[in-house]
Amino acid sequence: MTSAGQPPAMVTITVNGRRRTAPAAGHVSLLRWLREEAGVTDPKYGCGEGICGACAVLVDGLAVSACIVLAAQADGCEVTTAGGLCRPDGSLGPLQQAFHRHHAAQCGFCTPGMLICATAMLAGGRHLTREEIREELHGNICRCTGYGPIVTAIDSVQNGAATR
Amino acid sequence: MYTRAFRYERADDLGAACAALRRHGEGAKVIAGGQSLLPMINVGLAAPDVVVDISRVAQAREVAASDGYLSIGALVTHRELAASEVARASQPLLGAAASYVGNARVRNRGTLGGSLAHGDPAAELPLVMTALGASYELSDGRETREVRAEEFSVTLYTTELQPDELLVTARVPVLGPGWGWSFREVSRRRGDFAMVAAAALVRSAGGVVVESRLALAGVADRPVRIGAVEAALAGATRDEIPDRVGSIEELRPFTDTAATADYRRHLARVLSVQALQEAHRRSGEDG
Repeated sequence: MTSAGQPPAMVTITVNGRRRTAPAAGHVSLLRWLREEAGVTDPKYGCGEGICGACAVLVDGLAVSACIVLAAQADGCEVTTAGGLCRPDGSLGPLQQAFHRHHAAQCGFCTPGMLICATAMLAGGRHLTREEIREELHGNICRCTGYGPIVTAIDSVQNGAATR
Repeated sequence: MYTRAFRYERADDLGAACAALRRHGEGAKVIAGGQSLLPMINVGLAAPDVVVDISRVAQAREVAASDGYLSIGALVTHRELAASEVARASQPLLGAAASYVGNARVRNRGTLGGSLAHGDPAAELPLVMTALGASYELSDGRETREVRAEEFSVTLYTTELQPDELLVTARVPVLGPGWGWSFREVSRRRGDFAMVAAAALVRSAGGVVVESRLALAGVADRPVRIGAVEAALAGATRDEIPDRVGSIEELRPFTDTAATADYRRHLARVLSVQALQEAHRRSGEDG
């Protein structure tokens, strides 16, 4: 329901390669639309302010906080969530495998956002030092792991060790 | 958390956005990147009835240098500004400051116009615009006017913008050769708003300051030029800068949950000295 009482507009967003059309009232965030309309629940609601990174997704290749983007603003865009990093056969992609191997998750709440932001940080192709990886992760809050295993997992992927 | 409902309207161009703002009146807010507005809505600090989205309009997206000015469109994102070769060639201070804004996700969506119009007293981009003596082109879709950065900020989160006006372009005078720059800030955590930030520009000759500019954020209700320090620096060597900066008595910073007034005063002095000395060093590199 919109405040004007009209039926909400439809938006079409390609989520992890699959085109979905569903209603989005003006105030509905991309995060809420993904979770409640598209049934894609890997992005999590953390802070609602774009600080914690738990809701991070790629919109047309750029990482954003889905809690502070309106679904209507993403109409026509391509969205990738952590689940979209799997291989076409459904098996884990290299970064996901590295997180698994290096125990880079405990409670798991931050993990989808970590995976998305790590994907974005590695997309440039430049080799990052551990210190630079830490610096890049300042927008993703984890309260369990102490970040060490997460940095190690990301580092291992750029070293090409993930599929060993 | 679910927010209070509001309507969404996408504007086809900036003029249409101004007309929509007039039509909807008081309950309307402009949204571009939404990186300040949507957090405020989510935590209950803003409650618009309708948001007018300008994030898809084709205008105000260029960074261009001509006639001694760098023109930056309001819809240029912080990421684009930080990566712009044109901006770096004219004034590296801009990209350096843009790279301090929020986190990478904020910089991917947040826009220059949004940051300037939001008017946070600790924000990086209003600070560097003040230091650089920039001016802003404001438009209500019918008429445009130009306002200097220093006069644009009125007080906390309050600017010269009328309810149906948009900031369209920032015009930054390009400094001649021999100017060095520096940007410094201290925040509790990387990505937080700065407790204090300093932007400095120095032109030197023969190792002494000929001209300088110093602006601070986080020490008042808006970014401020520190004219007394600028005047005191003339003729100073790099080693003399700390004494010339002095204790910046004119500052009346505030105490809040991030820092006390005394600590802000301390940061203001330390960051001013560091920024001015770095700008001085860089002014020598340029020859």
